[in-house]
Amino acid sequence: MLRINCPHCGEREHSEFTYGEDANRSLPATDASLETWNEYVYQRDNVAGEHMEYWHHALGCRTWLKVQRNTLTHEISWVGLPHDMPPSQTEAQS
Amino acid sequence: MSGFRHGAGRLGDKEIAFSFDGRNLAAREGDTVASALVANGIEVVGRSFKYHRARGVTSCGPEETGALVTIGHGATAEPNARATMQLVTPGMEVSSQNCWPSPKLDLLSLNNVIGSILPGSPFAAGFYYKTFMWPAKFWYSFYEPTIRRAAGMGKVPTDADPDVYDRVNSFTDVAIVGGGSAGLSAALSAAQSGLRVVLMDEHAEFGGQLLNEAVNQGNLELEQWRLDTIAALEAADNVTLLRKTICWGRFDGNTLAAHEIVDGKVRHNYHKIQAKKVIIAAGAIERPLVFANNDKPGVMLASGARKMLNHYGVAAGKTMVVFTNNDSAYQTAFDYHDQGVTVSAVVDSRQKPSAQLLAACMERGIPVQTQSVVTKAKGWHGVRSVAVADLAANGQSVGQTRSIACDVLAHSGGWTPQVQMAAHGGTPPIYDNQIAAFVVDQQAEDTWSVAGAEGEFGLHAGIDQAVAAAQAACQALGASGGDISKPTQDIAGELNIQPLWRVPAKGKQLIDIQHDVTSADIVQSHLEGFVSVEHMKRYTTLGMANDQGRTSNVNALAIMAQCQGQSIAETGTTRFRSPIAPVSMGGIGGRELGEHFKPLRRTPMQEWHERRGAVFVETGLFRRAQYYPLAGETIDDAYVRETAHVRSKVAMCDVSTLGKIEIVGPDAAEFLNRVYINMFSTLPVNKARYGVMLREDGIVFDDGTTSRLAEDRYFMTTTTAKAGPALAHMERCLEIDWPELKVRVSSISERWAAMAVAGPQARATLQKAFPAMDFSNEGFPFMGVVHGEHNGATLRVLRLSFSGEMAYEVYTEADHGEAVWQHIMDAGADFDIIPYGLEALGALRIEKGHVTGAELDGRVTLGDVNMEGMASKKKWFVGKNLMQREGLQDAERPRLVGLKAVNPNEAIQTGSILVTEANAGAGADKQGWVSSMTYSPELNNYIALGFLRDGPNRHGEKIYAAYPLKGINVEVEVVSSHFVDPSNDRVKG
Ligand SMILES: [Zn+2]
Repeated sequence: MLRINCPHCGEREHSEFTYGEDANRSLPATDASLETWNEYVYQRDNVAGEHMEYWHHALGCRTWLKVQRNTLTHEISWVGLPHDMPPSQTEAQS
Repeated sequence: MSGFRHGAGRLGDKEIAFSFDGRNLAAREGDTVASALVANGIEVVGRSFKYHRARGVTSCGPEETGALVTIGHGATAEPNARATMQLVTPGMEVSSQNCWPSPKLDLLSLNNVIGSILPGSPFAAGFYYKTFMWPAKFWYSFYEPTIRRAAGMGKVPTDADPDVYDRVNSFTDVAIVGGGSAGLSAALSAAQSGLRVVLMDEHAEFGGQLLNEAVNQGNLELEQWRLDTIAALEAADNVTLLRKTICWGRFDGNTLAAHEIVDGKVRHNYHKIQAKKVIIAAGAIERPLVFANNDKPGVMLASGARKMLNHYGVAAGKTMVVFTNNDSAYQTAFDYHDQGVTVSAVVDSRQKPSAQLLAACMERGIPVQTQSVVTKAKGWHGVRSVAVADLAANGQSVGQTRSIACDVLAHSGGWTPQVQMAAHGGTPPIYDNQIAAFVVDQQAEDTWSVAGAEGEFGLHAGIDQAVAAAQAACQALGASGGDISKPTQDIAGELNIQPLWRVPAKGKQLIDIQHDVTSADIVQSHLEGFVSVEHMKRYTTLGMANDQGRTSNVNALAIMAQCQGQSIAETGTTRFRSPIAPVSMGGIGGRELGEHFKPLRRTPMQEWHERRGAVFVETGLFRRAQYYPLAGETIDDAYVRETAHVRSKVAMCDVSTLGKIEIVGPDAAEFLNRVYINMFSTLPVNKARYGVMLREDGIVFDDGTTSRLAEDRYFMTTTTAKAGPALAHMERCLEIDWPELKVRVSSISERWAAMAVAGPQARATLQKAFPAMDFSNEGFPFMGVVHGEHNGATLRVLRLSFSGEMAYEVYTEADHGEAVWQHIMDAGADFDIIPYGLEALGALRIEKGHVTGAELDGRVTLGDVNMEGMASKKKWFVGKNLMQREGLQDAERPRLVGLKAVNPNEAIQTGSILVTEANAGAGADKQGWVSSMTYSPELNNYIALGFLRDGPNRHGEKIYAAYPLKGINVEVEVVSSHFVDPSNDRVKG
């Protein structure tokens, strides 16, 4: 079982969560082109390695979480709220 | 093998009675079924899977391949129990399997003869696949019944199992898998840290290979160390000891799955153990050697024969021959000899066993035949002699055979570390030439493999590894594991093995004894082109039986590597998967059986419906009232009556299952404008509006009604099925896409009871029930919301209609639901009110042309359900962009229509295909489908909703609803989906 450390609830097993989606995309402008929207809705990278994704703590606090998971090892290296960033990326930006 | 009770072993002398195939036998307390059968001189315990070869006890552990028995009878019978893992209990009934009429005289063993004459016989490698190549009728008439009787193991009970099984969830700091010398040492070291420790072992007694050691031959210090260590662990509060518990899988995050045989009030426990650190001390399993008839009763693994004698006090036979390719089996010869059993020879395939071993044999007068092999075990039911021959120096051939009489052959082909638990983490095992077996080199940050499981067979060296791992695990958790004192006596770990994968001689050489897979089958699968070990495994079914390849895997890989002319390392091993041992379905199911299989959601009025005699239907986790039959009524009678009653008088339906979501905050209106296709910011307070949501891809997601309770507060209802997904969708939008919106959404589904009161007398009924509220058309118009109170219950009444009649939805707190429901029923008595169920609700909405999940099936667009006009052009909403896609705007798309059977009494089948010609075949032009149907009492006609290409422009056309699977062809007229009151006057009256 994956264990996800929810910022609100602490470490819980993954059966409480629902996988949401790839967290590497952001909503296009409402008037963006059909191609842009198509890209947003349908195109995903199939990453082998570190992947940022959204999980919903559906049977817990019901918060949507951002989870950094290694798709090869299932190791979860970071969990935050949707608009947080992992410390490594925060440092890189500052 | 003619075994007998010989000495005390570790068991006391308390006798218990049990039976085998109806014979009453004596066992000692602590005996397994296997040791008790051998003690009673029973050689043949059952027959094999395919060939019905006689089988006896081959080991004393989980690797047992021969003695599979059925325990008990009737509903609680357990087939395929490994006799070596099952303790005898007083009065236990044990039966042999796969033999008729008896294990000694088995008529189905004819398969054995056929199988050896014809290489293409039904039971050779790949027989499952090849038999399917026969004509299909052969399968049903001949193969299926014949093979079913001839092959397979035991019989599954057909009655429901009355026993209780349970599930245990636990958390621990350090979990130790395997309770031999290494596991005990690791546990004792970790216990001193104060951390929580779990130690589990599949046997009833902790000790592992220590239990193979004699207790009456100067090994008392070793035995005392074992007992002292167990006692120290028993005394520690922070240690949990699980006996008869097999850890069968290790999953992400060190979640362990284990199966415990309790045999108390609960039969089995399924443990889910969340461990921070795991130490794998699962030990190693002895491998058989591969020679002809190596499955004959009397052929035992040397370690099993040794434990049989030293632990259970049972000699496996009167005269023993030992056959080995390594050092470890010599100790079996010594122990049997030293306890007075004749050992006629040690047959060693190696040219030069160590001088030390040879001297020890010489001292005892045991002849050693080096560079020699057993080519065949001989005897009718059990071994009576073995054929022995010199092995050529190149190992490719044998010389003349000579015969040695014996009734037990103890053999050893080396040792296979139990790497499954380590390999479950994803680390592939690697081949170690030193021990001729696969090991997992795993000393990860949260998992350690130690001792036998890691290929280290020495006693002291294994304990040192185990303690080092325990200390590392404790340290990683911020604590410190202690030191332990080792026993003075060491046991050497060097095998000095020289692999002998297969004796180069003729005869049936079993690799996987349980599945009757022979060395010839492996060679045949190679000749037929199976290159990958994974394919060979599936083709031959090797390693798929109870022992999960423990004894067969390495031997098979070695033979395959020889065929391919490459090293074993290059051939590799199959992937290790859980469960690594048989696990009862009862254990996995636990108490989640029958009505506890899933949770039951009850509406606040559930008991009222039960008292009223409703028939219920499962919808998701709810059990909803489907109809309320009067005496003698069928379901069709009842729903037609209830439907007509709504249209003529008044009736009430429990709609508490609807999803109810409160949306609160200053940006609530803007939020709803974005998630709904239509405008909600313009909705006045105390008004309701029907709304539709799309998915991002432009497909219809859900519909429902939302009312505005205040400027910043809305009350949304969703369909029953989409209550969860709709809430999750809105939460996602708010948290991920639009964090700037100040809005909260909360599910209040469980807090509110809901009831729909519908029919021409609905207003009169509610006015009488709640006289303080104004139900007049002026005071409470269609789509209005009115608030009230009744006996302390809050009333929120919405004037909405799903049925097409004048109707109201009454909401109240769940606690008051039944009282308010009863109050309305009482008030409505004057107007002849009745309850109506889900079936009538469905008929009413089809008559009215309202869509539900049957239509909104995740494939339809707004246009498909004739709702494109509802989409606001003044604002953006979710799905607006991609709904513009060419394919979704295609004029050729099937659109919602009503369908009316031309013959009013001919039912239209849901799922029918719409075609223009009668009796259409597969090549017909399929123009649409039927999504839902009902009998309409209003029209006295069967009607349906469906999707038809260009449907709205084809009203009046007659087409066919075809259901070729059932040969149904119904002529239907295309009509508007609004069968009843298309101008919608009734709801507004
Ligand atoms: Zn949470």
